[in-house]
Formats: sequence, C-alpha cells, structure tokens
Amino acid sequence: MSLEKLNSSRFEEVIYDNGEPCLVIFSRKSCHVCQGVVPVLEDLQPQFEGKFSFYYVDVEEDKALYQRFSLKGVPQILLFKDGEYQGKLAGKVEEEDVEEKITDVLNS
Amino acid sequence: MVNSYDLIIIGGGPAGLSAAIYGGRAKLKTLIINKGAVGGLVNTTREIVNYPGYGQISGSDLMLDFKKHAERFGVEFLRDIVVSTDFSQEDKVIKTKKGKEFTAKAVIIACGSEPRLLNIPGEKRLQGSGVAYCATCDAEFFEGEDVVVIGSGDQAIEEGMYITKFAKKVTVIVLHDEGILDCNKVSAERAFRKEKMEFIWNSTVEEVLGEESVKGVKIKNLKTGDSSELECQGVFFFVGMVPSTQYLKESGVEMDKRGYIPVNNLMETNLEGVYAVGDNRIKYLRQVVSAAGDGATAAVAAERYIEELNAFKTNIANSYKKVLLVFFNASNTESLEFSSLMEELQREHNEDYKIVKVDLATKKNLAEKYEIKAVPAVIVLDKGKKVKELGCSMDKAKLKAQII
Ligand SMILES: Cc1cc2nc3c(=O)[nH]c(=O)nc-3n(C[C@H](O)[C@H](O)[C@H](O)COP(=O)(O)OP(=O)(O)OC[C@H]3O[C@@H](n4cnc5c(N)ncnc54)[C@H](O)[C@@H]3O)c2cc1C
Repeated sequence: MSLEKLNSSRFEEVIYDNGEPCLVIFSRKSCHVCQGVVPVLEDLQPQFEGKFSFYYVDVEEDKALYQRFSLKGVPQILLFKDGEYQGKLAGKVEEEDVEEKITDVLNS
Repeated sequence: MVNSYDLIIIGGGPAGLSAAIYGGRAKLKTLIINKGAVGGLVNTTREIVNYPGYGQISGSDLMLDFKKHAERFGVEFLRDIVVSTDFSQEDKVIKTKKGKEFTAKAVIIACGSEPRLLNIPGEKRLQGSGVAYCATCDAEFFEGEDVVVIGSGDQAIEEGMYITKFAKKVTVIVLHDEGILDCNKVSAERAFRKEKMEFIWNSTVEEVLGEESVKGVKIKNLKTGDSSELECQGVFFFVGMVPSTQYLKESGVEMDKRGYIPVNNLMETNLEGVYAVGDNRIKYLRQVVSAAGDGATAAVAAERYIEELNAFKTNIANSYKKVLLVFFNASNTESLEFSSLMEELQREHNEDYKIVKVDLATKKNLAEKYEIKAVPAVIVLDKGKKVKELGCSMDKAKLKAQII
C-alpha cells in the first residue's frame, strides 16, 4: 500500500502539530469494501502531491483512534486541515466523491 | 498499448477468475476488468466450508489461490469499472470509467451482485454511523450495544449470529409469520437457540432514527399496520442482492425484470459471443462452486466460438473462388432443402465457387451485417466483398443462371 500508516502518536503529529491538509482512511484488512476503496485513494494520491496528504489507520491495531471519532463502521475517510476535522465519507465511495471533497477542503 | 483481446471478462469473482483460468490455459489473450479487490463477494466470507478440496478456508484466501492460478496462465488484470459496451459488431467494444476502450472477440459477463438497499429514510445518511451491510467489516464496532438485523435469509441469519459475538442483543426483523425464516434449517435452529438473538415477526423497518448516529428504528407490523420504535445503536441490512448489470441496460443483452441474465447450457446470452456466468445470471444455486463451473463452461464455449469465427474468416477472406453464403435455419424445412440443392449444384460446378452454410440462429451478427432477415437466402462474396444476393428458387437451372 502506498498510503502511509498512522498510529496514535503519528496521528497527533500529522493532524494537530503539523496541521496538514489530509485525509485518513480507517480500514480493516478483512473488509472487502475497504480493499476496494484503498486503491481508489492510491490512484488519486499523485494528483494531489505536495498539496494534500493521504494516510490510513488499521482499526484493529488502533482502537483508540476510531473510538475517539465515534466511528461505527469501515471504510470511513476523515478529512482534516489546520488541525480541524472537515467531515467524512463512509462506505463504498467513488473516486469523484473523494476528489470533490478534497477540493472543497483545499478551497475552504 | 494493444487494446484488443480474444476474451474480456467483466468481474473478478470466482466465476470470472475460473473463466480466466480456462481462457488463459486455452492460450486466449485474456483480460479481467474488475472494480475493487479481486475475489468479489467471496472476500466478505470469513469461512468457506463447502468448496471442494478445501475443508475450511477464508473467502479471501481462496480467491487469492484462484487469482494466482489465473496469473500463471498469463491472464491480465485491470482495476477499473466497465461503464458501457457495444456488442453490435463482431469485435465487441468495452469502455471503462477511466476512459479506456478495449475490443474482444468474446465477452464473459461475471459481475455478480451487490447488496440491495431499502432506500428508507435515514439509511443513506447514517451509513458508517450505525447503518451497515457487512458483519465482518463492522460487527466489532457494536461491542455491548443493541443491534437490529433486517432480513431472514442465509446471509442475514449467519451474519446476525456473528454479530451476537460482540453485541449485547441482536433483534432480527422478519417479514414472515412467527417461526418462518428464509434461511437453511440448520442455521434457523441454531438462531432460535441463541440467547442473545430475538425476533420480531410480520414486520419491516420504515425508517432509521437518529441525527448524528443511529438511535433506533421505526418498525411497521405488516399484519396490524401498527408502527413502533425500537432503540438500537446499529442496523444491519441483509435484504437480498441485486445483480450488478445496470451498465448493460442499453447493450441488447436480454435480462429479466430484476436484471438477471438468462443463458443456455453453454452460458450463451441472446447475443453471439457474449456469455453470462455466476451470480448475475438466472440460476438455481448461487455459490462459489457453481460460479466456478459456469466460468469454465463459458470459457470453453467462447474458445470454440472464437475458433469457428477465425476459421470462418479465413474461409471467406482467403478464398480465391467466389463464396456463396447460404443462410439456413435448422427448424425451417424449406431452407434445409434449399441448401441441399445448393450443395448439389456446387458438386456439379466445383471449380467455380464454394459454399459456406450459415445457421441464422447462431450467426446473428453475420445475418445483420448482410441484412438477412429470412431464410433461405444466398449472397455471393468475391474476396470477402458482397457482389450480389440471389433470388432463392428451387429450380436448379434458374439458380445456376444467377451464379455463373
Ligand atoms: C455473506 C455471504 C456468505 C457466502 N458464503 C458462501 C459460502 O460459504 N460458500 C459459497 O460457495 N458461497 C458463498 N456465498 C456466495 C458466493 O459468494 C457467490 O455465489 C459468488 O461470490 C458469486 O461469484 P461471482 O463471480 O458470480 O460474483 P462476485 O463474487 O459478486 O464477483 C463479481 C465481481 O465483479 C465486479 N464488478 C461488478 N460490476 C462491475 C463492472 N461494471 N466492472 C468491473 N467489475 C465489476 C465486482 O466488483 C466483483 O469483484 C456467500 C455470499 C455472501 C454474501
């Protein structure tokens, strides 16, 4: 996978200390919908190189993180900018949905 | 980039992968176009215990073996979504969401099915916030909470039982009278014995309640018409599947009201060179083993079809003699008698032309190309080009006069 994996401390650093504009997909290895959405993000990543970062969290390994955002399912894509939560996308999303959401966040 | 293939398979579940193994082995240049992860629906299955030769294996591990097998035979894979097709010509055209275009001599439709949505208020809005469709993916998020399962088929009951491992209570909403579930008997008995599982009969869910996250469901009793509310933190929808065939609406492939494709025992659809296999076709048993069998059948049929097609082309295009294409139909006696007469004529004038007989029932594209609507019909080709159409008379002399 070309997305960088985040654990709790790296999450703090990227989202809150650096305030990077980015998305984080919460996924699970045994979730086929996640396995479908991750490659969509991998395809989009180069298009936003240097402007917007892409990360992932494995919910089995980092329970505290999904509990913190009260997530009730995977895959979910959370978007952040300047240390602030900007919304999410849940379930089987298409490339256009993600692209639109990233553009919204970048322009906000 | 070469975009022409012998065989293109739409969908990389067990049906598509099996077709690919046979296609690749037969040395057909084969491409699988699949959206998402290769393996299809089976990837959701934690445990498969009924695939021959594998006592117990996870769905995704089994599919990995299928995929490796196909790769060994040189099959190519593309992750993309087929959005439209043109099956009107001999070279079938397939277009994808990423804007790619491919042609193939034969196409196998193996795109399976996807969960049906009920489209009730709250369902879409609360996805990921309590509304779920896959227990393997999401059951763990409901540790110690109350969950509602909608549906009573094999999937609903088996997934429901898995959810009891995490949830405090699982309430199953069933359309039918008390005691009647749509799942297999063994699962039903196990479900009735499960302490954490409860059932609400003769009912359906009208609305998912909650603003930010699921807080409950509105249940309607179908017998009394009464509505009631039940508090819960999660709702799993298992209300059946729909075939993923919407993109074929304009393709000319015949489908039933729900979008399932009828085929014959060679997995042929109503269109020549187009096959349908696995869960997206009308069939009795929707399982990995039957999907694999379908895939193998279609690939072998496609291989024969392509072989015939190639032989037919060389027969016509490379012939130094004139070719008479005689269109007949096996169920039309007149056309059968006529083609015998043509053969008789040909034996007498062997050196002048050759005859290629065409069954109108199986060579629809060819009939369309030469605008043949009824049998018998004869057209004369010179180096592959149509030079004239004959008047079909049972009079040998009249026929001969037209040919020479
Ligand atoms: C919960 C559950 C448990 C099951 N348990 C078992 C079991 O224990 N044993 C068993 O034998 N069977 C089981 N089944 C049934 C089995 O999964 C199916 O019968 C089988 O997967 C059908 O295979 P398929 O290849 O026809 O379709 P699928 O597996 O659905 O594969 C179709 C593929 O096509 C892709 N696709 C769809 N549309 C397009 C498009 N336009 N362009 C490109 N690609 C597309 C899809 O993304 C998917 O990858 C289970 C099913 C479920 C839901």
